[in-house]
Amino acid sequence: MKPYLFDEFFSSGLEESISPFLTKKSRTWGKNLSLKSSSSAAVLLLFAFLLSFVNLPSSHLLLSLVYFLVGTPALISALHDLKNLEINIDILMTTAAFVAILLGSGLEGALLLVLFALSHSLEDLVTHKAKSAIHNLNHIAPKFAYVLAPDKTLFEKSVKEITPGTHLFIKTGEIVPLDGTIIEGSSSVNLVHLTGESLPLPKTIGDTLPAGARNLEAALVIEVTRTNSDSTLTRIIQLVTAAAHAKPRMQRLLDRFGGPYATTIISLTLLFALALPLFFPLPYLGTEGAIYRALAFLIAASPCALILATPTAYLSALSACARQGILLKGGVTLDALATCKTIAFDKTGTLTTGDLLCTSFEPLTPSPLSPDEVLSIAYGLERQVVHPIATAICRLAEEKKLTPAAITSFQSHPGSHLEGRYGALPVAIGLPEKIAPDLPPSTTDHILAALRIGPHLYLFRFTDQIRKDLPPLMQKLTHLKLTPIMLTGDHAANAHAVGKTLGLSHIFADLRPEDKLTRVAALSSQHGLAMVGDGINDAPALARATVGISMGRIGSAAAVDASDAILLKDDLHLLPFLFHKARQTIRISKQNITLSLAVIILASTPALLGLVPLWAAVLLHEGGTLLVGLNSLRLLRTPY
Amino acid sequence: MHQHFKGKKALDHVIEARMKGRTASSEVHGTELPGHYSAAADASKETAVILLVLWTLFSQIGMILSWIYLISLTFIIGWLFWKVGRSAILGWARLERLHRVIEEERWEIEHHRHQEREELKALYAAKGFSGKLLEEVTDVLMADDNRLLQVMLEEELGLNLGIHEHPLKQATGALIGVAGATLIMSVALLYLPWWGTLLSAALVISLSAGTSAQLEKNKPLPFIIWNLAAAALSAGGAYFLAQILFP
Repeated sequence: MKPYLFDEFFSSGLEESISPFLTKKSRTWGKNLSLKSSSSAAVLLLFAFLLSFVNLPSSHLLLSLVYFLVGTPALISALHDLKNLEINIDILMTTAAFVAILLGSGLEGALLLVLFALSHSLEDLVTHKAKSAIHNLNHIAPKFAYVLAPDKTLFEKSVKEITPGTHLFIKTGEIVPLDGTIIEGSSSVNLVHLTGESLPLPKTIGDTLPAGARNLEAALVIEVTRTNSDSTLTRIIQLVTAAAHAKPRMQRLLDRFGGPYATTIISLTLLFALALPLFFPLPYLGTEGAIYRALAFLIAASPCALILATPTAYLSALSACARQGILLKGGVTLDALATCKTIAFDKTGTLTTGDLLCTSFEPLTPSPLSPDEVLSIAYGLERQVVHPIATAICRLAEEKKLTPAAITSFQSHPGSHLEGRYGALPVAIGLPEKIAPDLPPSTTDHILAALRIGPHLYLFRFTDQIRKDLPPLMQKLTHLKLTPIMLTGDHAANAHAVGKTLGLSHIFADLRPEDKLTRVAALSSQHGLAMVGDGINDAPALARATVGISMGRIGSAAAVDASDAILLKDDLHLLPFLFHKARQTIRISKQNITLSLAVIILASTPALLGLVPLWAAVLLHEGGTLLVGLNSLRLLRTPY
Repeated sequence: MHQHFKGKKALDHVIEARMKGRTASSEVHGTELPGHYSAAADASKETAVILLVLWTLFSQIGMILSWIYLISLTFIIGWLFWKVGRSAILGWARLERLHRVIEEERWEIEHHRHQEREELKALYAAKGFSGKLLEEVTDVLMADDNRLLQVMLEEELGLNLGIHEHPLKQATGALIGVAGATLIMSVALLYLPWWGTLLSAALVISLSAGTSAQLEKNKPLPFIIWNLAAAALSAGGAYFLAQILFP
């Protein structure tokens, strides 16, 4: 039997719908319980209202059920807040609902409770969806590693228990669980999870391996150099969880204002209830009495809608983004995105894919073989391994419809080269420094591989490919009134060639990391700048930009640290969606705040003057809250 | 001795933890059995006894049948809400205790790994593992926190995962129990006001007691007879007391 995965249960805050103690079938009973309970209460309330015209006791019987379903949780929550000396909206609403019974307005009180519970349950629903995105990140981190004991036996051990000095066995295709140094074997690794760089790097004895690297070719033994608490993934998860609590500007303002406002309203309600009959010819009790009017004022002036105005909007937007594979570090990122006027792209790895394309190959010595024969031999060697360079050579040979040459005595030296015999001739392909040590180091951005056929040498050149459908993306960004620019350390000629293909007119090339940072700082101070990058080299620029957007399924450790948004699926086409969503969030938040303030102003004073009865105050107040909630939920819609 | 063990050996600590697990998984504040079938059986049995006592009492004081019906029905509505609510509350109380225990155990695993390892070794040593094999088993179980938590919950605390029903499902069982017993006894009272009530009460009590015995893997017959005897005693007690108080 597979062990139960407790991570989701704990990260959900011990939600009963995924409780490990309940049977699988039974767990569905706990799903969206607050929504189910408030909806049932709403139905019962409707029947209670209808029965109130024909049979009052039956109506009261149903009302008691409504108070049981939605009043009990509200009472518990209010008492809990009171115990912590916290005066807030829950206390306002619960007091109003229960005092309404004493005034003979149980239906209005129940209506208040039902609508309040419905708003809360909708908020819970949105919060839950946002939480699950963070939970998914937890799945990526390796939980255990294979420890190589001194007697050469292998056993699993939790990464939390592994101390520096332990020897770990890393199988082919596995993610390196902890930082370490290679002590046995050679292979190539890919750092796509860490730097966004998918090109394999040869690694051999003595080289260091970072946690998160993927071992591509052959098994390795490493000696651990750092514990799990320093691991990259642990840091990412802590960072994202902490940042999710970062509140947007509007929310911070409302939070500051919420507590004093609730206290003022409760004080005013008490004052009106006690003092109105002293100054005006009003009784204390009855529907024209001071207590009734004060209660109507309390309900109308309660800032439910105002309090829900921004969190529901931001949570819906965060959730919609998470569903698309965009992880945002809190609502503040949406604020910042909405202010951006320029979007800067790094070239390598961001605008290009990282998949290799064999652009050319040439003989380094006079060659008796035709280019097709050379490629066929390279194809014969490379088709036996899985490696980005091998894939590029095989793809080129297949495009030319060549058959692979028959290679005998094939041998693979992971992280270095491949060798064999073509007929009587020894052949080898791999790192130029291994195959042709006398070759001067490359001065271009091209990736090279050398092929030796007997005494003859050939050089293969590879380059990155531009990502698909980028020109329409640049047009979309321009339509969103964003100016796309390219910032790259690459040569001007290469950068302009890529820029031309993409339709970019603002290109800054030959930038050293410090130049890139200065440029980003200048652009950010002029107007908002979003910087899209992937690797460690982009981290300073990502941190300095108004909004840093990093690439990679979990992003580069440094890039994720520095960035505010992470494109989990490496999909740049989500950028227009992201900017649109940010602007829509600000717009909807402003609409919500305006609506909430209007309801408070228009309902509270007439309620005090006796112009608005209790039921109308409840409807105005809770209708406003529901409208705000529904308006926010529009942000959950994903298409753009 | 580490503070975590509070002066006890690892195995004694495990025994104490099992008691804690047992308490967490039982209905310590009530007599309701966990599970929807148990809740239904329990609720129907209690409803049958209450209706039987009420009928005995009302018959003795000479109440007319329609009044017996109305008063019993009113009483049963209140009783139904109480039984259903109580069943759910007890289920939620149990679930909360279990969740607290699992949270505590996770905290122990994260913060007292060495002591958890000792407990695990004590558990498996008690099962007959020793030497290198014991070390290997412990290493394998300690390797994955999810697996370790499951093992500690099951082996140390004696808890079973995925066996409890949701409190609302349990409460639905109670609702069906009360409603079913009321329906059977009402029909019986309608057609055979004297023997029907007694027989239907006996039938409901026998069925529910038999079901409970089956679920608890007890012998059904003695369980049924004891339940019928207790019901007869309560009805008889009420009948004779009513004769004394309302001669």
